[in-house]
Amino acid sequence: MTVPALECRAVSKAFAGLRAVDNVSLTVPAGSLCALIGPNGAGKTTLFNIATNLYPLTSGVVRLFGADAAGLAAHELAARGVIRTFQTARVFPGMTTLENILAGAHLHVRAPAIAQMLWTRAARREEAGLIARAAALLDMIGLSNSRDVATTDLPIGAQKLVEVVRALMAGPKLLLLDEPAAGLNDRETSELAALLRAICDAGTTIMVVEHNMSLVMGIADRIFVLDAGRLIASGAPQDIQRDPKVIEAYLGRTEGRRQ
Amino acid sequence: MAEIFDILVGGLLEGGVFAIVALGFSLVFRVANVVNLSQGAFCVLGAMGMYYFQTVFGWAILPAAFAAVVCATAFSLLIGAATFVPAVSRLPPSSTLVLTAGLLTFFIGVTLVVWGNQPYALPPFSGEAPFVFHGMRIPTQGVWLAGVSSALMIGLWLLLHRTTAGAALRACAENPLAARLMGINLPRMMLLSFGLAAMIGAVGGILVAPIMSLQFDSGQFFTISGFIAVAIGGMGGFAGSIVGGLLLGVTEQLAAFYVSSLFANTLALLLLLVVLILRPTGLFQAGAQRRSDVRDDVRVHRALVRLQGPKSLGFAVALVGVLVLLPALPLPNGLLPSLVISLILFIAVLGLDVLMGYAGQVSLGHAGFMAVGGYAAAVLSTSHGWPPLLATIAAIALSVVCGLLLSLATGQLRGHYLALATLAFGLLIDSLAVGLVDVTGGPSGLVGIPAFAVAGFAFDTPVRMFYLTLGLSVALVVMLAGGMRLGFGRTLKAVRSDQLAAAALGVNVGRVKVVAVCISAALAALSGALYAFNFHFLSPEIVSTNRSFEFIAMLVLGGEGTLIGGFFGALALTLLPTLVQDFAVFKTAVEGLILVVIFLVMPEGLFGRVAMWLQAVPLPGGRLKRMGAGR
Ligand SMILES: Nc1ncnc2c1ncn2[C@@H]1O[C@H](COP(=O)(O)OP(=O)(O)O)[C@@H](O)[C@H]1O
Ligand SMILES: [Mg+2]
Repeated sequence: MTVPALECRAVSKAFAGLRAVDNVSLTVPAGSLCALIGPNGAGKTTLFNIATNLYPLTSGVVRLFGADAAGLAAHELAARGVIRTFQTARVFPGMTTLENILAGAHLHVRAPAIAQMLWTRAARREEAGLIARAAALLDMIGLSNSRDVATTDLPIGAQKLVEVVRALMAGPKLLLLDEPAAGLNDRETSELAALLRAICDAGTTIMVVEHNMSLVMGIADRIFVLDAGRLIASGAPQDIQRDPKVIEAYLGRTEGRRQ
Repeated sequence: MAEIFDILVGGLLEGGVFAIVALGFSLVFRVANVVNLSQGAFCVLGAMGMYYFQTVFGWAILPAAFAAVVCATAFSLLIGAATFVPAVSRLPPSSTLVLTAGLLTFFIGVTLVVWGNQPYALPPFSGEAPFVFHGMRIPTQGVWLAGVSSALMIGLWLLLHRTTAGAALRACAENPLAARLMGINLPRMMLLSFGLAAMIGAVGGILVAPIMSLQFDSGQFFTISGFIAVAIGGMGGFAGSIVGGLLLGVTEQLAAFYVSSLFANTLALLLLLVVLILRPTGLFQAGAQRRSDVRDDVRVHRALVRLQGPKSLGFAVALVGVLVLLPALPLPNGLLPSLVISLILFIAVLGLDVLMGYAGQVSLGHAGFMAVGGYAAAVLSTSHGWPPLLATIAAIALSVVCGLLLSLATGQLRGHYLALATLAFGLLIDSLAVGLVDVTGGPSGLVGIPAFAVAGFAFDTPVRMFYLTLGLSVALVVMLAGGMRLGFGRTLKAVRSDQLAAAALGVNVGRVKVVAVCISAALAALSGALYAFNFHFLSPEIVSTNRSFEFIAMLVLGGEGTLIGGFFGALALTLLPTLVQDFAVFKTAVEGLILVVIFLVMPEGLFGRVAMWLQAVPLPGGRLKRMGAGR
């Protein structure tokens, strides 16, 4: 078997007494598309944050591609191919949509700063290549018209899509997406689902956080369900759908919560 | 023994004033979460009022002091309501910090207009004869100072802890959002704290004026000393402010006596840098850190206008064309040398734009690097006989090394602590330029610096210097514009607007900041070297902290994040005094005002205006990029 892309062993994270993530162990096999679901406040974002070393772990081990991730800074993780997005879209203000997406290619800019300043042929050719890729991605999410618009002026759903393709520009091996479908309508959501499946089939491991089950049911290879910090179920979508614990703890409660 | 006693008393007296200023810092910081760099100017405003009421109008001490405090406070409240309060709610904290530097410059400028540049001393409240206690001589003014400032501190404590207004003030400090939800009028509370700080400062100024003679720029001295005190004691803590002030006063007096009065300041600044780097929250701060202490300040452009495409090329070609032809035209006397100065300063502003406009890191000590470059080039080419070109290259290298050291030392600092560390760096270099008399010539400066020369060709006329600086500026702008359009510029902008998101994409934020600091240090050093070679003279005044503030004013006036904008800013602020007669005395006030006003009402700067105007010209091909946050 190949090394898993992400492996959490008994990880916990406590905030001043609250166990936001409680003894969770899970494995994301390389090349798979996994989903992490659970009601609001279940600890999904926190799990992402500890997997990407934004917060130190309270206990447990996180392995990325087989190597212990402890102590690696965010940019070092990115350099190892682990790229994440944020629950509240963090597009760069003051940049156009094209620039935002190009900024994702930071790790792949080869021309040194001085060559860029001297506007060398190699630097220009590289830039042209990046622009072509960014334009293709923009086209894919249907935002070609917004290319030269400040991204912060776009609707939230569009900003989240820009963030996803910006992450793609970084050429991730493991892509961690935090609620990418928030702010999208049903049609856009299913388009995004198809896009994610295609990206995964092209070789990128994806872990996507959603609290909307319908998005992930159709595309995920494996689903993890968190509730109140604990992993209450994991398995193929059909099994999850039928799991009484999930139905009770997750579906039942979210229905009840929606006033 | 009596000597030590005198030193200690002197130190405590001086420290008492520092403590008062530090208290003002803490008060405003607690409520508005901003370091108000104009704090020290309130002392001078108070003393100035006292001078008029007491010495000029002949009022008795008490009514004169009362009137002076009322006037100084009212004036500060007016200015605060018009600038500081709107700034806190509209601008990111680091911009507000810069704005308060502008306010300080403005207050200094106002004092210069009123007082001119000679020092003033007020008569002591109870005569000259010292108070003798067991054979120890204590100046009576010291008794006044100690008494009144203790009363002031007790009064302030009572106000904060025993009144509803005080409770509201403290609520704002502890949790602004909750305070607002509870119906507390946050802007009014900010204004209240600003006014209280001004009042405290004015009282301090009146008390100290008989001991120290004051002049127009003493406000800067008080700000810096008070700031060192508060940084040592812990920003926002009242007890810490007082202890920090007294400690600083005694340390400075001891250092002045046992080391050298020229280095007293240097030691205090070293102390400050060490504290900032090792314990940014101060030595005595027990409470929790404020968010802003550690937060990465997001500096979003509120309005950013950049010209792109053929129109920008056309504009650049036209501008350079006009400049190239200028020397051939019959120019008024003195215009060409002024243009040379503008271009030299522009090179430094370019560096600041890379650091501040693109990478979003505020530097309040940019002139420090100009000093390093200028003095290194000057010393190498005079005392060591190096050819100017080689001396310049070495000067740039030295400045970059300083930049590296500074950014490595301050690598862990965030938010305004970083900006304040750059301020400390600028002041430190400034004090070294004054103190290292053998190397720098001390306060009177270095003379006999040769003209810039390359392979025997000397740039010793204004026309030659003009073409040299123009050529360098154009080359630098073209290079930087190239880099800023490609990945390098995007990385800087990403760091400016969201460090966390940038890091998640693989940007090594720390390294990017170091690179930006080094670029800015290199350009400032080049500017300093050219300045020295142009004037054949360099003195600490030329590269002081005022210059750092002036660079920021030039950048903001011209337009941040546009590269070329700085040229218009440098040109305007250099030409104004030469074009408008008798303007010189108003220059400082106007510079401060420009910085403040532009920040508030014209964030796109002069070049942004030009770009918008060009956009309106119906020509094909102009592409204007206009961006503001959250519109
Ligand atoms: N930085 C933090 N400090 C304190 N508590 C936090 C922090 N981040 C998250 N939490 C708490 O942890 C729990 C899980 O939050 P989160 O991971 O954001 O949930 P989800 O993403 O599943 O909606 C919540 O109760 C939240 O309040
Ligand atoms: Mg979440």
